[in-house]
Amino acid sequence: MTFPIEVKNLSYQYSGRKEKVLREIDLQVNRGEVLGIVGLSGNGKSTLCYCICGIIPHIFKGRLEGEVLLFGKPVKTMDLTTVATQVGIVFQDPDTQLFSPTVEDEIAFGPENLCLDREEIGERIFDAIKVVGMEKHRHDNPHYLSGGQKQLIALASILSLKPQILIFDETMAQIDLAGKKLIKEKIRQLKKDGKTIIMIEHDFENLDVADRIMVLKDGRLGSFQGRL
Amino acid sequence: METIKNVLDPRVKLIIVLSLSTTAVFIKDVYYLGGILLISIMISILFNSPLLSLINKFKRMLWLIVSLIFIQSIFIADGTSIIALGDITFLTIQGIIKGLQLVLRMLIIIISASIMGTNTSREIVQGLVQWRIPYEIAFMVSIAIRFLPMLTDEIRDVVIAIQLRGIELEKIPLRKRIKIYSYVLMPIVANTMVKARKLSTAMEMRGFGVNENRTSYHTLQMRRIDYAVIVITILGLTTILGQYYLQGG
Repeated sequence: MTFPIEVKNLSYQYSGRKEKVLREIDLQVNRGEVLGIVGLSGNGKSTLCYCICGIIPHIFKGRLEGEVLLFGKPVKTMDLTTVATQVGIVFQDPDTQLFSPTVEDEIAFGPENLCLDREEIGERIFDAIKVVGMEKHRHDNPHYLSGGQKQLIALASILSLKPQILIFDETMAQIDLAGKKLIKEKIRQLKKDGKTIIMIEHDFENLDVADRIMVLKDGRLGSFQGRL
Repeated sequence: METIKNVLDPRVKLIIVLSLSTTAVFIKDVYYLGGILLISIMISILFNSPLLSLINKFKRMLWLIVSLIFIQSIFIADGTSIIALGDITFLTIQGIIKGLQLVLRMLIIIISASIMGTNTSREIVQGLVQWRIPYEIAFMVSIAIRFLPMLTDEIRDVVIAIQLRGIELEKIPLRKRIKIYSYVLMPIVANTMVKARKLSTAMEMRGFGVNENRTSYHTLQMRRIDYAVIVITILGLTTILGQYYLQGG
């Protein structure tokens, strides 16, 4: 059986660091599943995300052992364009993800990099903006939106690449309750659409949308037993 | 109704800005520079660029501008002496003229550059890309502009953090204040670099820089009015420079 995400015996050590951040991690995530990963700061949650979405080893170098497979294919042998069309990641800080003067430009950025034609880009903008329900902000400057709305735009800009896997790396850490509610609604909707989702969190209240919760402690991944 | 700022292609505005700045660099005559400054202000008003906010910023920098005139003039010993101590000349008329030239040039460049503020960074990027400038470089310019307010936010946050620790910067002597600023420089630079890294990672995760080319959802189309303005700008530039050099430069 091929899983959207399969991690086999993964260990990782950043360049210049003495200890491994991730140790012998095995993980399989099913299609349409929402997996929550919890853990204290510095336990390797974000590093695991970076390995899954190809930032490691494509952008950040270091000592990587084991492998990450996306739909059966190893991430390290894929180029970043292919990875970007399979995995989308929404980071914690919306201000370091958004750089375009309008929401429309922001969402168009990814498809433009994939060299799609104008009509296709237009359709993707329309679809992505509709999924996050931000149609009326299409021509607004994303920097003037609220934290929650910014994260929705970051999500839309990822969705325009049509990835089957989505990673939310502490996406709700910097936003208010209303923003969290909005994001969680969209996660439920995306799950219904068959997307495979990983949520990195340290706030358990945000994990009510998760089907399964795992804990990452001292670089090792295990099932969640009720406490960190 | 279309206003002039929306009518013109960003590339035309770029040509206007480059022409004004280039003229300011070549010309040394203070009267000519004053005239070019006036033209820059008028064009700026015509394009409805954020001139008022610029003037407000200039007000805060007035002391810097005046100091620049004097610092510049101190190093020019030629000309009629105004202030001298024995054999050492501190201020000359020639020095003040040089100082004025410098300030006028700065004002022309800043005010004419404000015309570009009437377009979004994406439009400017598109203009550069259609001028066959590699898209990585065009985006680099746009991201650099995007980072300026981020840098000022970072500085403001660090300064507030210092003040919250009970240090009243305004009441501290200048030398000590400079020392405190030197301490905060490192965290500001480090934080900005971290943010830049995060931004570039987010961009790369959306496929930026992977392909040699990229398509654009919005493309720019030059119209007759754009070509007409380019011709007028070039004619204006040649006339001013020609007149200046004919009069002996």
